[in-house]
Parts: sequence; structure tokens; C-alpha cells
Amino acid sequence: MSDTPVVPPSTVVLVSGGSRGLGLAIVTDLLAAGTKVAAFARTVTPELAQLAAEHPDRVHVGAVDVTDLPAVQAFVREVEQRLGPVDGLVNNAAVGQDSMHTHTSTADLARIVETNLTAPLQLTRLVVRRMLGQGRRGRIVNVTSICAQRGFPGLVAYSATKGGMDAATRSLARELGGRLLVNAVAPGFFASEMSAVLGSTQLDQIVRRTPTGHLTEPAEVVPVVRMLLREQTNINGQVIVVDGAASV
Amino acid sequence: MDELSRAQIRDLMAQVLANQGKALPDDDGTDLREIGFRSLDFSELALRVEDETGEELNFDAPGLRRIATVGDVLDFLVTLQRQ
Ligand SMILES: NC(=O)c1ccc[n+]([C@@H]2O[C@H](COP(=O)([O-])OP(=O)(O)OC[C@H]3O[C@@H](n4cnc5c(N)ncnc54)[C@H](OP(=O)(O)O)[C@@H]3O)[C@@H](O)[C@H]2O)c1
Repeated sequence: MSDTPVVPPSTVVLVSGGSRGLGLAIVTDLLAAGTKVAAFARTVTPELAQLAAEHPDRVHVGAVDVTDLPAVQAFVREVEQRLGPVDGLVNNAAVGQDSMHTHTSTADLARIVETNLTAPLQLTRLVVRRMLGQGRRGRIVNVTSICAQRGFPGLVAYSATKGGMDAATRSLARELGGRLLVNAVAPGFFASEMSAVLGSTQLDQIVRRTPTGHLTEPAEVVPVVRMLLREQTNINGQVIVVDGAASV
Repeated sequence: MDELSRAQIRDLMAQVLANQGKALPDDDGTDLREIGFRSLDFSELALRVEDETGEELNFDAPGLRRIATVGDVLDFLVTLQRQ
């Protein structure tokens, strides 16, 4: 028998990019499941502010840019003071892309990599250091994308960052030796501000290629995120694809 | 840096097509699908313009998707050079 006790369900979860889209759906769902939630984005939307007003003792929100490390550090400290030690992290914040690689400016390349890869690695490092330093166990869920596994034109740098996070998920799960469960959820395309750039022809094409006959809905992704944060499973270092078998 | 004129860009577009054994019709209203001018051909043309002017031309795909005719290609690149 292993001498490593199970990792308990997360009780204080930090969600990056929790202001809209999938992130907001994750925040809402975790609150309904009884956890305390901290969420940030560059702009706090009225929807997120309303959740904070409705649950003042269970929600902490802030306007923070995930690429601004000192601001992220300060936010994590605030969260711990208000809600208690963070034992769950959802790396959800990301920026999209819709440009051919040859015609994406080097500044845009750098911004995509910084936001979608460097920043979540730094946030993860920060949160894991606090968890390990305080002898706590916890869980991490990285929201990646089907683009990490299948090719899509116009999404070269974005795909590279998501593939990077999938790879980091596996190595981190190994490195943390079972003290933290680290997994990724890779949704197929769903309607959001990020995917709004896709033309209707492309969306129709994705739907046609999807055996379940519809685009993935955020509501179909959140139960998987919740399970990874809250249920007792032995799932660790995995990437769970939620795309109606579009990519199979 | 010198911008290329619409006519100069048209010449480059004709070269891109000529390399594929195709001719560029005189009518700017010609649909790109008729002449088989695809997004990668657009990219090649933009890179040829870059070569001439020494300035990078970067753009998002949604703008590209609105391009339907030969005239649209030329207008897009003329405008892009000025941005
Ligand atoms: N939509 C899709 O089809 C799709 C498919 C597969 C995977 N995904 C992934 O799902 C996740 C959520 O995407 P979504 O579609 O819900 O996108 P979205 O609606 O654009 O939301 C992105 C969230 O991240 C935040 N964010 C972006 N840049 C940030 C920054 N620098 N600092 C802090 N927060 C930042 C945004 O708020 P601010 O802009 O105010 O900062 C927003 O809260 C992403 O990881 C995305 O890659 C999306």
C-alpha cells in the first residue's frame, strides 16, 4: 500500500480568467458545489462582480493581468487572507489567435506565449510553492484545447502554448509525486468571445465533423473540471478531451 | 520606405499566378475561386510585397476571409501597407 494519503477535494479554488466564457461558468459551478472561489481577469465583468456581491464570504475577485507577476502574487496573498489557503487552481485565462503564422507579428507571438504559457506556469509555480511550503495537498486543472492535439490553421502559436501546457501537466504530475493531482481539460471549440473570430463556415464544418452534432458547451466542460477538483479519483497527469469526438 | 502602388501589386499578383501556370484576368471583379487564388497564395503575394518594401505585413484571418475578388486583394494590400 502507498504511504501517500489521498488528495482531498479542493475547498478554495483560484480560477484565472474567471470573468466570462468558460472561466465564469467554472466559477459559478464551483460556488454551487460549495467551494470558495477566487477569480481574476484584467477586467471584472458585472457578472463576476455580482457573484462576489452575492457570496461575499465565499468569493474574492480582482482585476489582475495574469502576465503581471507581482500583481498576481499580491492577489494570491489577498485571497489567502480572505478565503484561506488555496488548495485548487484552474489555469483558464488565455488569449486566442486567428492569423496565419507567417503574418502574425512577433509582438503578438510573444503576447500569446506569455499569456497562455509563461503566465500559467508562473502562477502554478507560485501556488504550488505555497501549497508545498505549508504541507498542504491540492489539485490543479489546466484548461488547454483540442488544438494541442489536432492541427487548425490560424492557431499555430496558440496551439503551441496549449500543447506546452498539456506537456507541463504530465511532468508536473510526476514531479509532485501524488501530493497534488495535476490534470488538463481540453475542450473542443465552443461559442465564446475567443471563438467569435471563427467564421460561420468554419463553425458549421466543426459541427458537421462532430458525432454528437453540436459544438461543445461550457456547461459540458464544467462538470469535468469540478470532478477533477472535487471527486476522489486516481486521475493524474491526464488530458481529458471534451469535444463530442470531433477529433477522434 | 516606398509603398507599392496598386498596379505594382497587381504585377506581383500576376507573377504568383504565372508560377502556377495561371493567368490573372484583367477584370478586378473576378472571383478568386474562379482563378484558384487561395489564402496561401495571398500569403505569398503579401510576402513578395514585403520583399519589395522591406516592411512586414501582419494581419488577422477574419480580414482575409472577407476578400473575395482580385480587386479586394489589391485594396487590402494597399490599405495594409499604410497601417
Ligand atoms: N472558445 C473555445 O472555442 C475554446 C476551445 C478550447 C479551449 N478554450 C480555452 O478555454 C479557456 C477559456 O476560453 P473562453 O473561450 O472562455 O475565452 P474568453 O471568453 O475570451 O475568456 C478568457 C478569459 O481569460 C481572461 N484573460 C485573458 N487574458 C488575460 C490576462 N492577460 N490576464 C488575466 N485574464 C486574462 C479574460 O478576461 P480579460 O480579457 O478581461 O482579461 C476572460 O476572463 C481558455 O484557456 C481557452 O484557450 C477555448
